[in-house]
Amino acid sequence: MGGYRAYSVFLTCILVYAGISKAQPPSRVVSINLCSDQLLLMLARPRQIASISRLALEPNSSYMSDAAAGFPVNDAKLEQLLSLDPDLILAGGYSSPSLIRLLKRLGYRVEIVPSSVNLEQIHSNIRLVARLVGDEDLGETIIEEMNLRVHQISVRSSSTRNRALFYQPRGYTSGSGTLQDLALTLAGWRNLSAELGVNGYGSLDLESLLISNPDQIFTSAYAPETDSVAQRQLRHPALAWVTGNNPLIDIPYRYWICGGPMLVDAVEALADAHQRLH
Amino acid sequence: MNTIDRHYQLIALLGSILAGFFLLSLFIGSNPIPVAQAVLDSMRDDPSVISLILTQVRLPRALIALVAGATLGVCGAAMQGLLRNPLASPGLIGSASGAAMGAVAVLYSGWSAAFWLALPAGGIAGSLLATLFVYLLAGRNGGTTTLILAGVAVNALAMSLISLMVNLAPSPYAVREMVLWMLGSIAHGSMADFWIMLPGTLLGWLMLVGTGRALDALTLGEETAITMGINLSRLRRRLFVATALAVGSAIAVTGAIGFVGLVVPHLLRPLVGHQPGKLLPASALGGAILLLAADIAVRLFPAGTEIKVGVLTSLVGAPFFLYLIVQSRRW
Repeated sequence: MGGYRAYSVFLTCILVYAGISKAQPPSRVVSINLCSDQLLLMLARPRQIASISRLALEPNSSYMSDAAAGFPVNDAKLEQLLSLDPDLILAGGYSSPSLIRLLKRLGYRVEIVPSSVNLEQIHSNIRLVARLVGDEDLGETIIEEMNLRVHQISVRSSSTRNRALFYQPRGYTSGSGTLQDLALTLAGWRNLSAELGVNGYGSLDLESLLISNPDQIFTSAYAPETDSVAQRQLRHPALAWVTGNNPLIDIPYRYWICGGPMLVDAVEALADAHQRLH
Repeated sequence: MNTIDRHYQLIALLGSILAGFFLLSLFIGSNPIPVAQAVLDSMRDDPSVISLILTQVRLPRALIALVAGATLGVCGAAMQGLLRNPLASPGLIGSASGAAMGAVAVLYSGWSAAFWLALPAGGIAGSLLATLFVYLLAGRNGGTTTLILAGVAVNALAMSLISLMVNLAPSPYAVREMVLWMLGSIAHGSMADFWIMLPGTLLGWLMLVGTGRALDALTLGEETAITMGINLSRLRRRLFVATALAVGSAIAVTGAIGFVGLVVPHLLRPLVGHQPGKLLPASALGGAILLLAADIAVRLFPAGTEIKVGVLTSLVGAPFFLYLIVQSRRW
C-alpha cells in the first residue's frame, strides 16, 4: 500500500500548508474564471498571482488583457491546477461545481466570486478579493474612485431621459436586472427593454423594437469582424431609420462581461452618447 | 370548354389567391398596425414608425417568401419533368442543401462582406455542384431508387459539411444557425436581402421559359423526344443551370426550405392535365402561395417563440411524402 501512504502524506502536507498560509496573504493565487481573474489582476501584487484563466488574455473579453500578459494561463482543469500548487483558488459563480467540490475535498482553499448585476454586488466583490489577497485599502480606493466617477456622470447628464435599448445579434436585448440596464440608467437613459417587460436577457422582435421608437440603439459586439446571419440582423436598414439615421453605437463587451470597476467606462461611453444627442 | 381556357382559369385563380395572401401577409405581424395609414405615411419624405414596419419589415419578408416559394415550386416542377420522376425536387436531388452549403461557406468565411453578390454566387455554385454530383452518381438513365440514394448521399454530405463549417466558423453565433440552414427562415429578411436574391432567381426563371414544350415531349420517352427534335443534353444543361441559379440565389438568403418543391408540383399536376409544360407556371404560383401561407402561420405564434418557416413546410410536407410512398406501393 505504498502508493496510498504516499498519497496520504501528500494530502497531509497540503492540509498543513494550507493551514499555515491562512495567517499571511496568499502567495500562489490561481484564478479559474474571467471575472475573478480581472479582480485579482486589479487587486493583487503580481508576485501573488500564480495563474489566471486563458480568457483573461483575450482583449475582446478581458478588460485586464494588458495586465494579464505574461502570467501562466490555465483552462480550469484539475491536473493543471494541482501542478500549480496554489494556496488560494478563485472561482466564479458559473464555475463547475463538481470541480470546486473536488478541489475542496483535496484540501485546497477555494473562494467563489459571485456574479454581480448591481453596484452593491460589484463593491462587495471588490472588497472580497481585496480582503483575500490582503490589500483592503486598495479595494476601498478603487470603490471610492468608481463612486466619484459615477457621481460626476450623474452631475453632467441632462435631466431629460431619452429612450435607448440594447440590440444584440439574434435579436437579443438586455432588460431589467442586467449590467447594461444599470449602465444605461446611470448614464441618464431610459432602458426601453426593461420598460417593455424584458427581465434579464431576452429576445425582442424587430416590429416591437421599431414601435418602441428608440432615440438610440446600442450594441455590444462579442466577436467583431466575424459574420453570421445573426450579426447581419444588426445591419437591418430599419434600425438606422427609426433612430433618425443615428448609427448603432458599439460599447465593447469587455466592460460588462463581468461586473467590476470597468463598468464605469461603459457608463461614461453611454453618457457621452447621451450628450451628443442634445 | 377547352383545356387552354381551363389552364388560364387555373392560372388566374392561383394568381388571385397569391395576391390575397401577399396582401394578408402585410397585415399580420407581432403588433397590429394601421396598414392604410402606413401606406400613406410611406409616401412622405419623413417615414413614420408604422410605415417603416410596413416597408422595411413586412414587405421584404412577403417579397422574399414570394420569390423563394415560386423558385422552389417551379424548379421542383422542372426537375420532376426532366427526370420524369415524381420524387425529384430541389430538396431531394441535392440542389437545396448544396446551395445552403455554398452560402454557409461564403457567409462564415467573411467573403459575403467583400462584394454583395458573393452570397448568391456561393449558393449557385454549391447548388450546381451538388446537383451535378447527384446526376453523375445516379447515371444518365438512373431509376428512382438510384436517384433517391444518390440524393440522400449528397444531402447527407452537404449537411455534414455545413455542420463542420458552422462549427469551425469564427463567429460565436454560427453554431446556433445550423437550424436555419437546415430548415430555412425568412423572419429577418430586409430589402437588401431581397435585392441580393432577385437577379439570380429572375435569370433562372427566364431560362425556364420555353422549356415547357420540350418537357411535354419528354413525357413520351427520351427516344420519342429526340425524334421530335429535342436536344436532350442541351435541355438537361439548361434546366440544371436554371435550377442552380434560382435555387442557389434563393436559398443563400432563406436557408434550405424543404418540401415546397416536392409537394407543390404534385398537388397541381392533376389540375394541369399532367402536362409538365403547363405545370411550370402553375407550380411557381403554387410554391409562392404555400410559402407565404406558411410564413403567415409562423407569425401567428406568440412573439418570442421563433418557429422557422421551414419547420412548418416540413411538417406539412413530410406526411405528404409518406402518402406518396404509400401510394407508390400500390403500383
